[in-house]
Order: sequence, then C-alpha cells, then structure tokens
Amino acid sequence: MSDSFVEITGLKKSFGPLEVLKNIDLQVNRGDVVCIIGPSGSGKSTLLRCVNLLEEPNDGKIVVNDVELTHPDVDIDTARTKIGMVFQSFNLFSHLNVLANLTVAQRKVLKRSEEESRRIALHNLDRVGLSDKVHSMPAQLSGGQQQRVAIARALSMDPEVMLFDEPTSALDPELVGDVLGVMRQLADEGMTMLVVTHEMQFAREVADKVIFMDGGYIVEEGPAADVIGNPQEERTQSFLARVLDPTHHGPKDPE
Amino acid sequence: MAMSKRKRAEYIRYAQYGILLVVVVLVAVLADWGQIQRAFFNVDIAKSMFPSVITVALKNTIIYTALGFGFGLALGLVLALMKLSSVAPYRWIATVYIEFFRGVPALLVFIGIYYGVPIAFQMQFPPLTTVMLALGGVGAAYMAETIRAGIQAVPKGQVEAARSLGMSQSRAMITIVIPQAFRIILPPLTNELILLTKDSSLIYILGLFREQYELTKFGRETLSRSPSLTPILIAGLCYLIITLPLGYLSRYLERRGTSGRKKVSA
Repeated sequence: MSDSFVEITGLKKSFGPLEVLKNIDLQVNRGDVVCIIGPSGSGKSTLLRCVNLLEEPNDGKIVVNDVELTHPDVDIDTARTKIGMVFQSFNLFSHLNVLANLTVAQRKVLKRSEEESRRIALHNLDRVGLSDKVHSMPAQLSGGQQQRVAIARALSMDPEVMLFDEPTSALDPELVGDVLGVMRQLADEGMTMLVVTHEMQFAREVADKVIFMDGGYIVEEGPAADVIGNPQEERTQSFLARVLDPTHHGPKDPE
Repeated sequence: MAMSKRKRAEYIRYAQYGILLVVVVLVAVLADWGQIQRAFFNVDIAKSMFPSVITVALKNTIIYTALGFGFGLALGLVLALMKLSSVAPYRWIATVYIEFFRGVPALLVFIGIYYGVPIAFQMQFPPLTTVMLALGGVGAAYMAETIRAGIQAVPKGQVEAARSLGMSQSRAMITIVIPQAFRIILPPLTNELILLTKDSSLIYILGLFREQYELTKFGRETLSRSPSLTPILIAGLCYLIITLPLGYLSRYLERRGTSGRKKVSA
C-alpha cells in the first residue's frame, strides 16, 4: 500500500512515429488537486487520458487506488467507474435528457435501482446548481450548463478521483466562472482531482501541485506558488510569460 | 456590346418558360384525350376493384413491406456491425453479402430464394416467411451501408464518455451509439422503406393465391379481365397512399434532425 492515490511510473505513449509521452512519473495523493499546464502538443491531455486508459500506454505502469490499470488482467470497466472524467467538448449523450444522462451509467453499469439512481442524480444536479434542468435536452443548454451536467454525470458514479481535460476551453469567457466554481467546490470537499487547464488563476488558487509539461516530459512540478509564481526552468518561464501576458510578446521564435 | 449579365439571366428565364409552354401545348394537341380517358379512367372498373383493392391488396403490400423492412433492419444492423468488426472474416462476409445483394436485381434474388432454398435445405417455408426473407434480404444490403454510416457519424466523444463511465464497448454501442445512429439515419431509412414498398411488387414471382395478392399483382390480375388500364392507375394511386406520407415523414425528420443537432456538442 503506497501513499499515492494515483501513481504513474515510466509512462510512454506514441501515436505512430510521434512520441507524445516520454517517460512520465507522477504521484497524486488522496484529496490533492493537481493541475497540469503546458503548451498545446506537450502531451498533457494524453497523459490525463492514460490515467483511465482511454489511451493505451505503450510502456509504464499506472496504479489508481491500488489497482494496476496497466495489468493485462485488470477489469478496466469496473476500474473506470471509480475514475470520473470531464471532457473539453462535454460529450453529454445527445439523445438523452439531463436526468437520463446522469442515470444511464448508474443503471446499466452500477445496476442501481431507478429510484436510487434518480435520487443520486438529483443530488448531484443540485451540487452543480442545475436542479431546474432535469428534463432539458443537452442541445437546449449553454456550454457552461452542459459542462456542469457532465461534471454531475461523472459525480453520480461516486468516483474517487476526477479527471478534467481542459474543461473550460470550449466555453464562452463569461461561462467559465460557473464551471470553475463547481470545480473549486469539489476541491474544497476533498475530491482528488487531475486538471489539465489553461486557467492559471484557478491553478494558482486551488492546486496543491502544479505540473508543467513540454515536449512529452514533465519539466517542472511543485506547489503552485513555486511553479507559477517563481518558475525555475526557462521553458516554464517563457510559457507562463506568454499565457499570463499574451499581448506583450511577439510570435514565438523558430527553434 | 455584349448583353449585361442580368439581362442575359432574364432572357434565359423567359426561354425556360417558353420551352415549358411548347411542350405542354404539344402534349395537349397530340394526345388523344378521349382514348386516354377510356383507357385509364373507367369508373365502373375502378368501382369493381373496391373494396378488395384496399382490404386485400393494399393490406398485403403493407404487411409484406413491414415484414421485409423489419427483417431487413435487423439483418442490416448485424451486417453493419460485422462491417465495423475488428474480426476480418466478419468484415469480408458482410462486404460480400452487401455487394452481392445490392448488385443483383431483386427479382433474381426472389427467384433464387423461392426455388433455391427448398432445394438447398430440403424445406419449404410458409409464403410469408419467404416474402420476409426475400424482401428483407435485399433491403438489408442497402440498410447495412446506411446503418454503418450512421454509426460512424456518431461523434467519438460519445463513446469515450460512455467508456469513461465504465460501460463496456458493447454496452456503449447498444445504449449510446446505436440509438444516436438511428436518429441520424432516420431520413435515409425512410427512403429505404419507400423503395422496399415498391420492391414488394416483385414478389408476384412467388406465385401467390388470390387472397395473398399485393397491389401490383392485384392490378395486373384485374387488368387481364378488363379492357381498360384503370386497374393499373388505381394500384398506382394506392402505392402513393403509402409512399407520399413516408416521403413527407422523411423530409420532416430531416428538418427536425438538422435543427435538433445544430447545437449538440461534437
């Protein structure tokens, strides 16, 4: 039994000839919020998608809650019920209303009764502040509402860790706050969270640990105050300068 | 000085109306309206066809089409899943089936099933079963490709979301992908149903009894006893009773589908 709730060692992932993750080691303690930042193409989304094996790693070991997901005999479907995931594009089931989005996996996977799954769904809709949208179809909701429903859907499975893959990147700016508010509340309640994000303010205020990735490596990691407030690596510094102050930098120099 | 573009477009439009007028006048002058009326609009013959044209022929056409469509849909779904299978032989079998039954005239398939199956398997199916196998077998080839396209049109994120919630591949397929695929392909599927309705006219080859006649056979049978083409007209109108609402339904579903999916996330 290790201290870490999520433990990744020697993780490698390639898409064809393209090496996206080159030997990643990462530990996440129970109850921690870890924010993963970095330029596009740095492998941060792929890393997150490896944690619930939506991407099959080429090499390395992934252990979540003492279950080795990379073991060939693992029951990945059961393991995934404990790992909630929230996508950039929400991915609500477009043919089901909000309530059915929240209950379908409870019923079909966890085999909960209709009554129980409904109760849990309503409770989680309330947590994200959308109790009045129970019978809406996804297409009738704003992006921010859809993403909060997606969070409630993941929470309805009673996960022990939540993965967020750029949850606010597809949202209009004025809707970002609602989603970040829900995430902050989850963090306060002690949920273990891995968050790929460009929201530096969120990372700074909520993250217990910030990871900066570039070119398939973890370049720098540590408390938010250090990695964002006082980065040591040159690549981290130049990335943060661009993100935090985008108007004062010319195009990136060709390498 | 050349004509302006706008002027030219105007003249071309006039020319189109002109051509239409000429054709209409020619047809009106050249056709023998008296003969046409006697040939197609014999009220007595038309009356003599009722009510059995509705209670027998139209009913049978609907029953045959429904049986064929139901079986074809089920087989088409299986074929579509086989085409998307990771097991190569499944893909091959589905491809051969689809290419064969799409490429061969339905009439030949019907003859083959009607005469071939009893010989090959030493068994005689009841007529309705033969109709179902014949119509459905041909319809499945077309529907399989439509269903496959529908399944592939469901955004990948839907499967990822389902899998991330712990659904197995097949559970995600049944609960999430196939229902969405059918919503997408409802308009083209309705068109398949229209085509199948008309293909049901080919089962006259199965040598049916009088009470088993569908519209075309019924019309031809009446025709053989009457000096007028009226039965053909009546039969044709009866097909329209089925196909026009279906065509309307298809367009309605298409409109609803596009407006309903506009805002749905990728």
